[in-house]
Order: sequence, then structure tokens, then C-alpha cells
Amino acid sequence: MTTATLSLSATRAAAPVKPRRLGVRAAKLTVGLVVLAAVLHLDIGWSDLAELPADLRHYLDLMFAHPDWSRLPAAFYQTWVSVSMAWVGAVLGVVASTILGIPAAQGVAPLWVRLPLRGLFAVLRAVPEVIIAIILLTVTGLTPFTGALALAVGGIGTHGKWTYETIEAVPAGTAEAVRAAGGNVLEVARWGLWPAAAPELMSLALYRFEINVRTSAILGLIGVGGVGDMLTGYTQYRQWDSVGVLIIVVIAVTMTIDAISGAIRRRIMRGARARDLDRTV
Amino acid sequence: MGSGDHAPEGIPASGAWPIHLEDVIVRYPNGVVGLRGVSLSIAAGEMVSVVGLSGSGKSTMIRTINGLVPATSGTVRVGPYTVNELGGRRLRQVRGGIGMIFQGFNLADRASIYHNVLVGRFSHTPTWKTLLGVASHTDREIVMRALDSVGMLEKVWGRAGALSGGQKQRVAIARALSQEPEVMLADEPVASLDPPTAHSVMSDLKRVNTERGLTVLVNLHLMDLARQYTTRMIGLRAGEVVYDGPASSATDADFEAIYGRPIQSRDTLGQ
Repeated sequence: MTTATLSLSATRAAAPVKPRRLGVRAAKLTVGLVVLAAVLHLDIGWSDLAELPADLRHYLDLMFAHPDWSRLPAAFYQTWVSVSMAWVGAVLGVVASTILGIPAAQGVAPLWVRLPLRGLFAVLRAVPEVIIAIILLTVTGLTPFTGALALAVGGIGTHGKWTYETIEAVPAGTAEAVRAAGGNVLEVARWGLWPAAAPELMSLALYRFEINVRTSAILGLIGVGGVGDMLTGYTQYRQWDSVGVLIIVVIAVTMTIDAISGAIRRRIMRGARARDLDRTV
Repeated sequence: MGSGDHAPEGIPASGAWPIHLEDVIVRYPNGVVGLRGVSLSIAAGEMVSVVGLSGSGKSTMIRTINGLVPATSGTVRVGPYTVNELGGRRLRQVRGGIGMIFQGFNLADRASIYHNVLVGRFSHTPTWKTLLGVASHTDREIVMRALDSVGMLEKVWGRAGALSGGQKQRVAIARALSQEPEVMLADEPVASLDPPTAHSVMSDLKRVNTERGLTVLVNLHLMDLARQYTTRMIGLRAGEVVYDGPASSATDADFEAIYGRPIQSRDTLGQ
């Protein structure tokens, strides 16, 4: 018993001093104060919240009790325009960000190439697609092509970052072997990095497309066409029965695309892993 | 998985290059010193092992020879070239004449074995062709013969990821051979392999030396492999050459001096 007590006290004596996390505490306090200030400043009308359930019921009734199904073909057509916008935007954006993203990865191109590219991605990530579309439409006008371009340019910000992060996660050995055989930067990227990164990048490209499908509906709000455009029109004229049909179509189409694209992405990643494990051949 | 029984007919030996290091110092950007003034000469066609514990600088040394690691100071001469003075296109050209294999094989697992071996032709091929993965008739022929010489020709259209470790190292040797190199470097080529496979890969390397006449420099940490397969041994310890002499007659005491500790059972492969 005495030995036990002895060793116990010895441990206590040897324990390092508990660090004082002053920085963490200060950060917590600051965040708390910011939230408090925001709530006070916004002047939230809590009393309006009480009427929300009744209002919501009223509008849901207007929209979905008797939807105007005659709008269905037009709704599908405009959704198709939105999806096309998303698809063209994804393809353009993914191609551009693959070309720009690979040299932005550490160990591919020198720092003076890497830094400006990463800066470009960061700036593009900071600008919402709607703002990009507003800038672009001064040149290309209120067309679905403007929407596709805005999605492409906006996509470069995130997809470019995903690309260089994926490339950096590829083990360096294969790239070293290609360099040792006398390969140049392009050859190292194509045969040392791309084979290992391709499935992940394909999966991310599809994910980009899913995001674009949702964003394209929002872009319609500024008038570049597609289902968002139609939605704004009917909302402004308070034709709730048509709005209801549009919402149903948008949700159904978006969920279907998400499901299909998600299944393909899972298949790609599973295939990539299965091939790694299969050493029986 | 036989070794030694494939006749390596085909690729003609394109001559060998000697290697000279003079007072080579390598200091990495993070301050770690890889080599502290290494000077040595390797004649064309020699089969040399570089022995040392991990961290002794043998990986650094082998990489200064093809410029993967730049020498901080000193001179690295390989054949007619002074590697440490070259960069860009000229350096890539010299690398084309120096084949290299690695402990981790370093193949592109998701690419076909054919495309992996085709990498060896990059320094002789226009970039647009290599990016598309197309090859001239001659290059294709060279790839096939290189695969045949290591007994892997029948797998040519399979994926590299589907191979066993020993098969992967064979494909890696074929990749290096398709360069039609003058020098062959090997960085711990058998450290990830089981003993029988390790012996057959070492025999393949030995044949590269005896039948093609290439200068071969192989990093090893196992004393019996160094004695059995190489004629000359260079011992590295803490970035300095502490032994340089015949491999077969190196005594246990010599190895203890290189390792800086008594011999242990893990210093030999066995068999």
C-alpha cells in the first residue's frame, strides 16, 4: 500500500505544469461578443416569428394545393436550360482548373507560378457566381451562356484548389521516377501524378456539376435564363400555382441528378480502391 | 518468377559511363547535411554497392548522380557530363542516360505496364507524343524487348497496380532499361521484397552489369547481398565515406565500422 501511495505522489510531482490557454480563452470570448453584438444589432423581430407558421401554411396552400400543371412542359424546358448551363459551366471550369490547378501544386511548378495561381483561386472563391455573372453580362448579355461562363469562372476557384490539393496528396515516388528518366514538368504531371489523381479529380468534377445544378437555378434570378428566371417572373406576378409546379420540378430534377451523380462518384472511388487492392493477377 | 534464365537479347549495350564525385557536399534547405565532402571514382562497367544505415546519406549520394538532389558544392561528373552544372533540358538529357530503380518501385499503379515502361523513352521523344501516350514503332519495340528481358512481356497490357512486389520491381527495371542507359542506379531495390524475390531481383541487376556492361551503383543495407552481388563496396556513415574496397573480402569488422555498432541479425537477408 505504501509503495502505491509513493508511486502516486511521484507521478503527481513529475506531471508537467498545465498550460494556460490564454489565447484560446480570449478567442472564445471574442466570438461570443461578436455573436451577441450581431444579434443586438440585427434588431430581430421576434414577434414576426409567431405569424410565420400561419403565413407559411397560407403560401404552401397557394403553391401546392392546386398546382397549375399546364406549366409543366415549360418548367421542364427551363430546367433543361439550367442543367445545360450547369453542365457547360462544369466542363469549362473543370478543364480550366485542371490546367491551372496542376502547376499550382507543390513540387510541380516553381513558386513564382504557384503563388499567383493560388492567389487567383482564392480571389475567385471569394466572389459569388451571381456577382461574376453580373460582371460578365456586360460583355455577353443576358443569355444562358453568361450563366455557364459565370459557373465556369466561379468553379475555377474551388475546383482549382481541390485539384492542387489532390495532386499534392499523390505519393511523390512515381513523379520522382519520371523525373529520373528525364521527363519534363508536363510529362511528370501526365504520367507521374495524373494516373493516381484522376479518379479523385473525376469524382470532384461530378460534384462540381451537382453544385452547378443548384447554383444555375439561383443565377436565373438575375435574368440569364433557365428555371430561376421563370421562377422570378411568376413570383413577381404572384402566380403561386405556377411557382408550385416550378419548385416541384426543380427539387425533383436536382435530387435525381444528385442521386445519379453520387452513385457514379461512389463507383469511381470504389473502382480506384479495388484496383489498388487487387494483387492476385 | 524465374530469374537468370531469360536471355536478355535485344537492347544492345550502348557503352557505360564512369562516375566521379569530388568533394561533394549536400545541405538540404532545412539545414540537414546529407553528404559531407564525398570524393570517389567509379570506373565504367563497375558493379558497386553503397552500404550504410538509413540516414547515412546513401540515398542522397545516388540522387546527386542524376541531379534529383542538387550538390551544394563539389563536382559530380557522369560520363562526359558535369551534372552539377546542368539544368533544364541538358540535365533531362543526361538523366535519359541514367536509369534508376527505387525501393518503392514508383510505378504509376493505375496506368498499364506498357505506359509505365514507355516512361523510359521520354528523354528521346517529343513531349506531345509522350503526353498522349503514343510511341513510334522503334520505341514500342524497345519497350517490348525490355519487358521480355525481365520476363514480364506477357503482362504488358495489364495494370501495374495488379502486380506483386517482385513483378513491380522487374517492370521498374524494364522502365530503366528502355532508356538504353549508360549507368544504372538502384536505391534499396530489394528492401521491400521477400528474400527469394530479393535474390532474383539482385540477379537481374547483376545481369544488367555483366551482360550489358552498364555501370551499376546499388544502395543496400544488407551485408550479405553486398558481398554476393557486387565487386566493390563503398561504406557511408553520417554522410562520409568510411570504407571503399572489394565487397567479397569485406570483414564483419568492416561492416561494424560502417554501421557504427555491432552486427545484428537484421543486417543480413539470409538464404
